[in-house]
Formats: sequence, structure tokens, C-alpha cells
Amino acid sequence: MFRILKKSLQTGSVTGQHPVGAAPSEPIGPEAIEKAKPFRRSMTIREVDTGSCNACEMEMNALANPVYDVERFGVHIAASPRHADALVVTGPVTVNMERALKDVYKATADPKIVIALGDCAVNCGMFKGSYAVTGPVDRHIPVDVRISGCPPRPAEILAVLAKLRQDESASGS
Amino acid sequence: MIDARPAVEQVQAAFTQAITEVCAVHGVPMLRVKKQDLPTVAHFLHTNPGLRGSLSLLWAVDHRPREARYELCYLFTLAERKDWLLLATDLHGDEREFPSITPHLHAAKWYEREIRDLFGLVPIGHPDLRRLVRHEHWPKGSHPLKRDFPWDRVLGRVQGEYAFRKIHGEGVFEVPVGPIHAGIIEPGHFRFSVAGEPIMQLEVRHFWKHRGVEKLFEQQQLTEAVPLSERVSGDTSVGHSLAYCQAVEMLQGVEVSPRARYLRTLFLELERLHNHIGDVGAICNDTAYALAHAHCGRMKEQLMQLNDRLTGSRFLRGVNCVGGVALDLSGLQLAQVEVELNALEQDFSDIEKIVFANASLTERLENTGILTEGIAWDHAVIGVVGRASGIDRDLRRDRPFAAYDVLQPRVALYRYGDVRARMRVRLDEIHESIRLIREVRRGLPLGRLVSRPMHQPQPGAWALSAVEGWRGEILYVVMAGDAGRIHRCKVRDPSFVNWPAIQWAALGNIVPDFPLINKSFNLSYAGNDL
Ligand code: SF4
Repeated sequence: MFRILKKSLQTGSVTGQHPVGAAPSEPIGPEAIEKAKPFRRSMTIREVDTGSCNACEMEMNALANPVYDVERFGVHIAASPRHADALVVTGPVTVNMERALKDVYKATADPKIVIALGDCAVNCGMFKGSYAVTGPVDRHIPVDVRISGCPPRPAEILAVLAKLRQDESASGS
Repeated sequence: MIDARPAVEQVQAAFTQAITEVCAVHGVPMLRVKKQDLPTVAHFLHTNPGLRGSLSLLWAVDHRPREARYELCYLFTLAERKDWLLLATDLHGDEREFPSITPHLHAAKWYEREIRDLFGLVPIGHPDLRRLVRHEHWPKGSHPLKRDFPWDRVLGRVQGEYAFRKIHGEGVFEVPVGPIHAGIIEPGHFRFSVAGEPIMQLEVRHFWKHRGVEKLFEQQQLTEAVPLSERVSGDTSVGHSLAYCQAVEMLQGVEVSPRARYLRTLFLELERLHNHIGDVGAICNDTAYALAHAHCGRMKEQLMQLNDRLTGSRFLRGVNCVGGVALDLSGLQLAQVEVELNALEQDFSDIEKIVFANASLTERLENTGILTEGIAWDHAVIGVVGRASGIDRDLRRDRPFAAYDVLQPRVALYRYGDVRARMRVRLDEIHESIRLIREVRRGLPLGRLVSRPMHQPQPGAWALSAVEGWRGEILYVVMAGDAGRIHRCKVRDPSFVNWPAIQWAALGNIVPDFPLINKSFNLSYAGNDL
């Protein structure tokens, strides 16, 4: 017990100790911000991987670590699309995942927004044209926000989420 | 250097009739065997007490348009000195069948199903010919790695359903999980058959993420495919790109400079570090110990920020290039790395003490998800998972690449095969990685970063390269085509070998322990599905 306390005191708070995220490379349209309005104070995200290389997943997971601590902005990660306000989709949409992506979209309650995360999700990236890929994401479901990068850094994802909250102060730190 | 000369002579003596040719490919002996004799020779290699060959890779090549021939190659790692030995056989003209070796070697099971799906070649005698990569909605006759299959064909969709293995009996029911899971993890399907709590059978149904990676390699130039190799499994960007580069360098006769070799070692160990630390945290998290998870997440983040500062990529992308490394590190940067890692090691050791003082955590780890040495050997399990089950293999020691011939890593080895052993292997390897990075800094020679190719490979020339990534053995076979293109690139992430083994490790455990077992394996879905 003493050891744990000592460690916590030594470590202190690390939240926000990261480089400032670059401004989103793709502009976020007013429609997207309008659509995100109901979720300004609390947004629950369901992540769907449609064939990523898994680096985009790793950066999504990083959002939950103590350094980025995305929960402090009211952003939660849900275990089921039924609980989600937003879908974050990664990957170029493989032939084998196409059906699952559409099902998840249908299962998510309205109103909802869809965020395509990473070059693969935005334009199929390096996998464009392959027989095994039928994306990008917006061929199958409507996409509201696009975050390019391969992968986008967590700070950049945070900056986009801040933009959607119309929260200018929290975009970097 | 020729591997395994006595072994070759032994096999030759035992099968004078069956062997039609003996040659060597970049020092690895290759025996060409008559098709019908293949199972007997493979069985001999596998079971002979002096050889104890373990199947490390099985791949096919379509030689059209140059020759109307399919070639099947079998790579064995022999137990004693970890020598390599290749078997090969040919299918000429319209032949589409070959004898399955799976009845003798469990480890061949997925490889042969994969070859059937991707090439349309049928392993006769295989006990399980359900589709593997091609899900049931793929139209009949679509075998993407055949040379006449266009890389950008639109597949279309048909009706069909995968037949899971069923267990019948009173009170037996099935729990389907996936492809989309609760956490932020990759898609895959697990089908549990349970009676009450314990798992009676687990069937892994994967390949949801199949992106056609090997076909995409065939559309590229030899010198230009490094970025694609970095995206096979993003968490292993360095491991995959290094294995790819080494294969091309062998083909071009490039002698990589000592400085580049040292830097490659450094980057590979940095990749191992952040992944292993992340895994330790994730394992603790699945026992509901959030404190350790938070600390490990913080340290992993610190390492990824370090990567970013050193190379401009949190995943160390863009460091490897054909012929060496694409960027240099200054003495000052290296000094900073060492300072940071020294602090991190102290930091991490504190967490280790906290974790192992917590009985309710260690209780969950012990005796959970045991993979016995026997089953691990039967399935040719490798990497962290193998070393936790007594499989004493590590390419950094057994077939040194980069600077490991000089640096001599110590290999972690545990025998019990449970979650705790897999965690233990990672803990040892974390400390060892930090030590190796210190050694790199101490010994880093001066010299150029990129070496020039000696020659361009002939079409049809090929090379096999191996790297011990953080998960385990990464293998690449690269065959040159016309005009500097790639004719064939076989990619093998260790996950492809270890996934079937998880089906055994889960048996008898309760379903709620499966996430913990799965985390302790932590296999790549992307690297498996390709
Ligand atoms: S965008 Fe890049 S990092 Fe993200 S999944 Fe695609 S290849 Fe991987």
C-alpha cells in the first residue's frame, strides 16, 4: 500500500504532457459541428476496425492512457454500438468486413456521427484497388468527419474532438 | 555457409529414390522431393530424434508466365542447432493436387488451407478443407494469388455459411464472439462451446481483415515496397520492414554497413520495448488491476513520444530502407535515449514490485491458459508464447541478423506456459532490450547509412529472411520478377502460427478468463489475415 502511494506521489499527474496536435488536415464542416451538437458535453464512441494495420487502433487506445485521458472531456469508449453516439471507423473496409460495418451502422441509434480515422478509412490508403477491399468507408456509410494521417497522432485526434465540441481551449495543452 | 550438412546427408541416405535434386538458396540447403514422397520425408524430418524438424513456413509460388509450374516449399528448423532445411516439390502443367502433410504435422494445417484458398491447389488427405482466408461469400474459383487473377478484380458476393465444428450433448451451448469486439481491438471471431463455465472447445475464425497484402506486393518494385511492409501489422512496423529489407538486400548482394546494423538493432528493440510494456499493462488491466495499466500506459506513451522525437514517427516508420537505414542518430540523441531509458527501467521495476506483491492479481495469472510444451512443439509455436512454454528459440541468438551477432542477447525461457509465464518472458525481455540499447550506444561504429546494390537479381531469384520481432519470428520470402518487380512475396507474421495454439490454451478455462489469455498471447489480426 505504502509502495503504491509513494509511486503515485512520485509520478504526479502526467495528463497533458504531450506535444500539441497539428491542426486537422481536413476542415471540419459546419454540418458536422451541427450534427455533433447534442454530444458536446458527452460523447460515447464505438470504434470499428474494418481492416486497419492496427496502428490506428493503437492510437485510439492511447487516447485512454493517463497522458491524453480523453474521459476528462466527456468522451467515453463504449463496448456496444447500441450505446454509441459516434462511430470511429478505421481501415479500408475489406470484403470480409463490409457486412459487419453496415450492421454496426444500423445498430447505432440516431442521432449519430461517423468519424473516418486514418488514411485507410478516408481513401483506402495503400490498399486502394485491392481485390479484397471495397472501401473507403464513405462508399458504405455516410461519413461526417475525416481525420487523415497514417496513423494520426493521438493529439491530432484530440484536436478534432475538441473542434467538434467547439472547445477552443482544449485542443492542445 | 551451408546449414545442416549432416542432416542433409542423413535425409539423402534415407530417401535416395525420393530426392531429385539438392541445392542451396543463400546458404540454406534445399531438397527437391517427388510429390508423392513428400509426406514421408516431412514426417521423417519431424520425428527423427536426431533432426526433430519443426515446420517454420510453407508457401507456394505460381511461376507463370515464365514456366507453367507451381512450386511448394517447406521450411524446417532443426532442433539441435536451429539450422534451416528446405523441401520443395513441383506441380507441373495442369496438376492441381498435392499430398497433405497435415496428418503427420499439425503445424501445416493452416498453411495448406491458405494455399488452397489463395492458389486453388488442393491438399489431398487434409482433414479439414473448409475455407480459411476466403469467407463463404467469395465466389467459387476466386484464388487471388494465381498469376492470372487481376489484383484489382471486383469479387462479387454469393450466399454461403461457414460450418463451425459442433459439440452435441446435454447442456452444451455455443457462445459466439465477434468479429467486432467490446474493446478497441481488431476484428476476429471466437466460437466457444461450453457446458456450464469451462470451455470445451474454442474455434478461431479469422481473416476478416484480409486486405490482399501479398498480391499488393506483387504490384510493386523491389526497392519500393518498404512502406507496404510497415503496414502489414502496424505495431510491428520495424520488424516487418527489416525482414523485407533483408530479403531484398540478399537478392541484390548488398553488404549493410555496421552502423546501419546497429541502428536497426536499436529501432527493433525500441519497438519491442513499447509493445511489451503495453502488453504488461493490458494483462494487468484484464485482471481488473487498473493501477498497473495506467502506469504502463504512461510509460508506453513516453516511449512512443521518444520514438517520435527520434524519427518523426511514433511507430518508427520510415527508419528501414533497402540497403540500410534512412536516418541517423547523433551522439546527443543517443545519450538522451540512455538517460530516458535508465529512468524508465527504474520506474518500471517499481511497478513490477507492486504487481507481484498483489496476490489477487498473481492468482489470476497462475495456471490460467496453460499451453503445454508438447502442444507448443506440435504446433511449432514461436516467439514470446513459445518461450513461455519451454520452446527455446530466438532468432536473435539462433540466426543472428542486424548487430545481434556482436551483442548476444540473453534469451528468456520459462516452462509453465500459463499467463504468468508469458508475462514473465516479457518482463525479462524488457530489461534485456534496455541493456541491448545501452550496448548499441556503447558500440555504435561510424560508417555510412545506406549501401549500394551489387547487382540486380535475375527474374526468379529469391531469398528468405527472418527477424525476431517483439511477437516472434517474422519470415519474408521475396522472389524477383521482371524489370525489378516483385514476383512473389510471402509474408509470415508469428501470429499466423500462434493463433491455432490459443484454441488449445483456452481449453478447460472459464470463458471470463479468455480475454486474459488472449491478451497474454496478444497476436496480430492484421498480420495474420494479411
Ligand atoms: S491509415 Fe495507416 S496507420 Fe491507419 S490503418 Fe491505415 S495503414 Fe494503418
